[in-house]
Amino acid sequence: MTNPSYDPRVNRLKLGHADDPVKIEEGENWNIYEVFHQEKRGAHHEHVGCVHAPNPQLALVFAKEQFGRRKKCVNLWVVRSADILAFDLEDEDMFAGNLEKTYRDASGFKVMEKINKVKGAAKQAPGKA
Amino acid sequence: MYGGGYIFDEPNRKQLREEQLHDDPEKLAAFEDRITKGEKIEPGDWMPAEYRRQLIRLIEQHAHSEIIGALPEGTWITRAPGFKRKLALIAKVQDEVGHGQLLYNAAETLGKTREAMINDLLSGKSKYSNVFNYPAMTWADVTVIGFLIDAAAIVNQVANSKGSYGPYCRALERICYEESFHLKQGHDALIELATGTPVQKAMLQDALNRWWQPIMHFFGPPDKASHHSEKLMQWKVKMASNDDMRNQFLDTYVPKIWELGLSLPDPLLRKNTGTGRWEYSDPDWDLFFKVINGGGPCNQERLQVRKWAETEGRWVRKALMNNTERKAMPVA
Amino acid sequence: MNQQAISDLITKMADDELVLGHRNSEWTGLGPVMEEDIAFSSMAQDQIGHALALYRIQEEHMGGPDPDAFAFLRPAAEFKCCHLVEMPIGSYDFSLMRHFLFDHAEAVRYESLLQSEFAPLQQLARKLKGELKYHTLHADAWILQLGRAGGESYERMQAALDTCFPLACGIFEPGEADQALINDNIYPGEKVLYERWLDNIYRVLVKASLNMPDPAAITPAYGGRYGQHTPHLQPLLEEMGAVLRLDPAARW
Repeated sequence: MTNPSYDPRVNRLKLGHADDPVKIEEGENWNIYEVFHQEKRGAHHEHVGCVHAPNPQLALVFAKEQFGRRKKCVNLWVVRSADILAFDLEDEDMFAGNLEKTYRDASGFKVMEKINKVKGAAKQAPGKA
Repeated sequence: MYGGGYIFDEPNRKQLREEQLHDDPEKLAAFEDRITKGEKIEPGDWMPAEYRRQLIRLIEQHAHSEIIGALPEGTWITRAPGFKRKLALIAKVQDEVGHGQLLYNAAETLGKTREAMINDLLSGKSKYSNVFNYPAMTWADVTVIGFLIDAAAIVNQVANSKGSYGPYCRALERICYEESFHLKQGHDALIELATGTPVQKAMLQDALNRWWQPIMHFFGPPDKASHHSEKLMQWKVKMASNDDMRNQFLDTYVPKIWELGLSLPDPLLRKNTGTGRWEYSDPDWDLFFKVINGGGPCNQERLQVRKWAETEGRWVRKALMNNTERKAMPVA
Repeated sequence: MNQQAISDLITKMADDELVLGHRNSEWTGLGPVMEEDIAFSSMAQDQIGHALALYRIQEEHMGGPDPDAFAFLRPAAEFKCCHLVEMPIGSYDFSLMRHFLFDHAEAVRYESLLQSEFAPLQQLARKLKGELKYHTLHADAWILQLGRAGGESYERMQAALDTCFPLACGIFEPGEADQALINDNIYPGEKVLYERWLDNIYRVLVKASLNMPDPAAITPAYGGRYGQHTPHLQPLLEEMGAVLRLDPAARW
């Protein structure tokens, strides 16, 4: 190195030249694991991102600091990205709500209407009670 | 942290028209309709080839900037004065590495591996924010970087976080949250110097004078000089013009410097109360391009150090490498 | 209770953590892969944080000096750190092995402090339990995997172990007041901690197929606890205090 660095750490390294060819191989950054984060006991684990790791053990070790160091966290899951099975995004239409399936929806049941009707009928015939 | 500006590889109109010839018009219409409605694009979605190319370029350079950005501030890790500053600085530089990690993952969802991106950084094919090609000469430089460069980066990143690509937006959401802590930490350290002893004040003023030009360069060339890509704006890849972001930055942060009794080395710098826009001397754009193309004070060192780190860590990575395993890009 | 002996115990523990945390933080931004860079940096921060917590105990409970001045401006001869932590970062094999040996030593030490009669140390030990668990989990994972990887990786780890082991034994250099501290139930003394540490690291090293040097056949690197240091400490301290010394009267 011609000029000393302003960084004393860098001055302690044996640096090569800036135009030395350095190339890393495909796979050197290992496999990819998806990370799921649980904020507190009782909460769902939620997807927060991923880590590169050579195996699940180190994926967890890495995930702990990359995804648990700032936000509150009580537990983490990791799973290989390649093991996730998902629908194609273009199949979104499968999930489209069908307006006629009101039997699946709270609004499909008019409970209050019925109760009011019962109450109204009772008021009109007080002698019955 | 990252700066906008010279990020996009502006395609010429002919190129763009040719790209679009290959894009299925029906799919393109659905894609653009989704963006117009404010919906996000996700990794498995159909997208125009040019959208993918520009996004990879944008996110990858943002990631490189985080990794390289760790170096100028890292310069003072071993000398930070006192426990509080020492711990905060290590944590901050660590966050920059963490941001790089998140951003490389976001870029990988578009199909380019982290290894390929790192190689493009090392070979010089892919750039990073110009501002990191300047040295942090004193402790005061760290406070100026921590306050003003991070502030500029937040302006840029908040704008980008409203873009159209889901994984990038999600990464930026977390990054902006952490940057707000950096900004506060930088502001705190800067105020300490600004209100300190004459030695400290002089040190800070020197650093401000040194960093002002790189900060003005941060958002990239003026709008009138840069090719305007309406397509990238329409696709919500580029979210704000360079001049608009620069103006927003000046509007918020110049008063915060002036209120501390500090000066900025530009006699023309003032807010035009009529137009609401800031006026300033035109930064030296020839210098900007010279630095981008390798002629800055630290370009060599930054790459040398990154190459050292990759070479030094190679045996660790190779020891546990296993290319027979099933692999996939990040899912989201 | 022998206040001076307790204070000396705290100083040597804190100096170890400060100097090693400082060394390990040099890797921040330069690690072998981003995820590990982040993890290693967190642990460096933890160690510097432990040092601060210990200096604060001296300040708040024993009339000790301001932690910043004590840590950043004290002359080298007054430092009580062991030689292991003073060594430059070297290659990642050395730094990882040092982390493994040191953090296991720290783990047994703080575990023993859970029973300490000196309440501030006992409380600190309780507070740090989780952090230390992560540190040894991280270290064990690496030692196992890099040891088992064979080839260059195995050779590097074995060489690093051979270099680090006598230095690490120096962590347990007996102190002059150990017996007084044992009698007062402050901590069980270096000899006991050393035996527990050997058991713990041996278990991991065996699984990693690494050969632990015979403790009887090596010379532990002693001296640090009595202010005799390697040539690496003085420049480290000069660097650490460089900005603070520009104007010691100033607030930074």
